[in-house]
Amino acid sequence: MKALLLLGCPETPSQTPLTIYACDKLTKLGYDVTIAANPAAKKLVMVSDPEKYYIDNLVDLERSLGEVKKGDYDLLIGFVHKDAAASFFVTFYHLLQTNSIAIVFERDMDLVEEYTDMVAESTDAKIVSVRAFHNPTPIKVQLDKVLKELE
Amino acid sequence: MSFCLDTYLQQSDNYEVHASKAGFKDCAMIIRFKADEIIYINPGDEVLGVRVIGIPPIPIGIDDKKGTVFIPYTKPCHGTSVVELPVDTEEMDNIRKLNTQ
Repeated sequence: MKALLLLGCPETPSQTPLTIYACDKLTKLGYDVTIAANPAAKKLVMVSDPEKYYIDNLVDLERSLGEVKKGDYDLLIGFVHKDAAASFFVTFYHLLQTNSIAIVFERDMDLVEEYTDMVAESTDAKIVSVRAFHNPTPIKVQLDKVLKELE
Repeated sequence: MSFCLDTYLQQSDNYEVHASKAGFKDCAMIIRFKADEIIYINPGDEVLGVRVIGIPPIPIGIDDKKGTVFIPYTKPCHGTSVVELPVDTEEMDNIRKLNTQ
């Protein structure tokens, strides 16, 4: 099974540790995980796991967008914490047409609701939403819940 | 050689940015307001050599008189912009073929 983990802008501190965490969890669930990220987000992940204990495939987000097609992945997971991240997630969802999960988080609850609505209005993806920014724990709790359903 | 929006924006200054670092829905509204003709496409449909990113239905504006199109352009850290740039009639017709509505 193959999973695509979609990263957004790396401004949010929680994204990189959650990427490593999600890779570990997904690998143990039997997925070959590919991370798609922009250059800055990629560097943060590479520096966080220099020996590649947790990460395997790391690809450029925009190149991946230009190449992916239906059937390439069995699971799409996206971190949605910006308007652009919601747009990217929805676009990958429509291209891949696969089982999809959006992890929506932001420090502002109004924005959490706005991004959740953006994804909900245009996909059938499973969405977990939580108010969080520096502290990864609330997001980790939601991620654990949604990944538990994949077991 | 086919047109590529990314390359064009890097190598030409013959384009106009109507909004930048904005939300997708605001940019969609600007396109609907500014363009005479609107074509609605699906996320990931290819226009001007790139897969367009956004929330469906994604509006692409066409100004026949000026020979330009308005397109939303999204980057992960910079949000969405609305770019107006000149295209030939063949490209306009290719965009019209993508219309979902």
